[in-house]
Amino acid sequence: MSTLEITNLHKEFVDVYTGETVTAVGDVSFGIEQGEFVSILGPSGCGKTTVLNIVAGFDTQTSGTVHVDGRAVDGPSPERGVVFQSFALFPWKTVLGNVIFGLRMRGVPRRERDVIAQQYLQLVGLEGFERKFPHELSGGMQQRLGVARVLANEPAVMLMDEPFASVDAQTRRKLQEELTGIFETKRPTVFFVTHDVDEAVFLADRVVVLSARPSRVSEIVTVPLERPRQWRAALDSAEFRHTVTYLTDLLAGDEPGVPADVDRA
Amino acid sequence: MMLDAKVRRAQRRQVWAHRLGRNRLFRTLGPFVPVVLLWWIVAEAEVFPSAFFVGPDVVLSEFGELIRKGILPSYLSDSLIRLRNGVLFGLLIGIPAGFVVAMSYWARKLTWPLLMFFQAIADIAWLPIVIVWFGHSLTAVTFVIVYTIVFPLMISIVSGVEQVPRDLVRAARSLGASRFRVFTDVIAPGALPAVATGIRTGLGYGWRALIAAEIIIGASGIGFMMFDARRAGDVTHVFVGMIVLGVLWYALDALILAPFERSTIQRWGMVRTAEVAR
Repeated sequence: MSTLEITNLHKEFVDVYTGETVTAVGDVSFGIEQGEFVSILGPSGCGKTTVLNIVAGFDTQTSGTVHVDGRAVDGPSPERGVVFQSFALFPWKTVLGNVIFGLRMRGVPRRERDVIAQQYLQLVGLEGFERKFPHELSGGMQQRLGVARVLANEPAVMLMDEPFASVDAQTRRKLQEELTGIFETKRPTVFFVTHDVDEAVFLADRVVVLSARPSRVSEIVTVPLERPRQWRAALDSAEFRHTVTYLTDLLAGDEPGVPADVDRA
Repeated sequence: MMLDAKVRRAQRRQVWAHRLGRNRLFRTLGPFVPVVLLWWIVAEAEVFPSAFFVGPDVVLSEFGELIRKGILPSYLSDSLIRLRNGVLFGLLIGIPAGFVVAMSYWARKLTWPLLMFFQAIADIAWLPIVIVWFGHSLTAVTFVIVYTIVFPLMISIVSGVEQVPRDLVRAARSLGASRFRVFTDVIAPGALPAVATGIRTGLGYGWRALIAAEIIIGASGIGFMMFDARRAGDVTHVFVGMIVLGVLWYALDALILAPFERSTIQRWGMVRTAEVAR
């Protein structure tokens, strides 16, 4: 049994202005195994964030099912922590306050949660910043805090919604490398939404490619790269480049005449 | 050489300007110097007859006189006690009511038109009916202050709650926060900038309402003192009253409101200091 199992997910919504019914998600099915990193890749507006929102419990599907550890998803839950593109850190809480938030909400005793917090702050390289407020950190550090905050809660699956789209290119590369490092040590189950082909391939064990709206799974590609991974080595490797080219063509075929990465954030 | 000296002089000037800008006393009192000076010149030149317009020297000595006689301290404490009562009840009613309206879809739908309607009726417009109901009493004054504070406060809280980013609420929910904890740990602090603005505007309105109420129904207080002096044809007391009002508001802001905002929303980076005004 997979940790996350999505079956025939379908989502329609009514446009409040035109009154038309729009299909955001056509028919999406796939699973993620325990300790697996899966990227969900698709052109902008293909409904991949909608899929994430349904898995997170922020939104409800029109039909189909989502199961985590065999239980049907019903609203947000700490077993499905989310890392947001907007970071969504609590500005009135310190770095420490943000990391222990989930533990506090779940009633973990203070002494225990301080130990756990330290462990995860160390993991993301934020030890020594406990008493800072989020706005005093750089964008990269803020998102590392976003990851620590979710992982400290030990969710069954970590959902990431284009988490590095709002940082600069250099920082993004660094964060991606750090994320693979964290993944390799902690082995969380990760659901990673992106429209960046390189990112999807570099991070994931498998890449789920969604077609343009109404989205369906057009292909699931296994990434033939060894771990631990580093950008330098990945860019040198023929497998990496082949996979990227293959996926780029796949996405381009979906939207005739438009290169897949034209709308890269 | 010439250029060098010029540059150095310019630098010295900059350093001085910077020091002056950081000096608290100068920052507080500096802007008033030209105003008082102008006032004094106009009074000395007798542009207006001295029965209508008195200079700072006259006002200052009268100010001392009023303090010595104990009139000003007693009127001032009357006004402040009324303001405190009004503000206390205003916050006690306005903050919970604001959050209830903000949090509940139906409460908002049902009360929003009422909020708009009652906010539009100025505090002073209530005075005639309030006097009929409560007479020339403390209750009447308190009612008017509470009234003026509650509505702007509620409206700010509603808009503050609406401005809490959706992702923050979602993050809290997916970290395991119950709806109640989302309120206490996300909505309430997230709405704080708006609540602070609401309290500030509410207090400002309340302060004005108090003076208006005292002018019309008071038997003591700063507003009463000013209006009573007008009846007696004593301009000096009116001037003293006006200055006291301004100074008190400034003190309230500098001693209570501003430090509160500095230690919360500014500390958290939730308000941007305007780049233009740097």
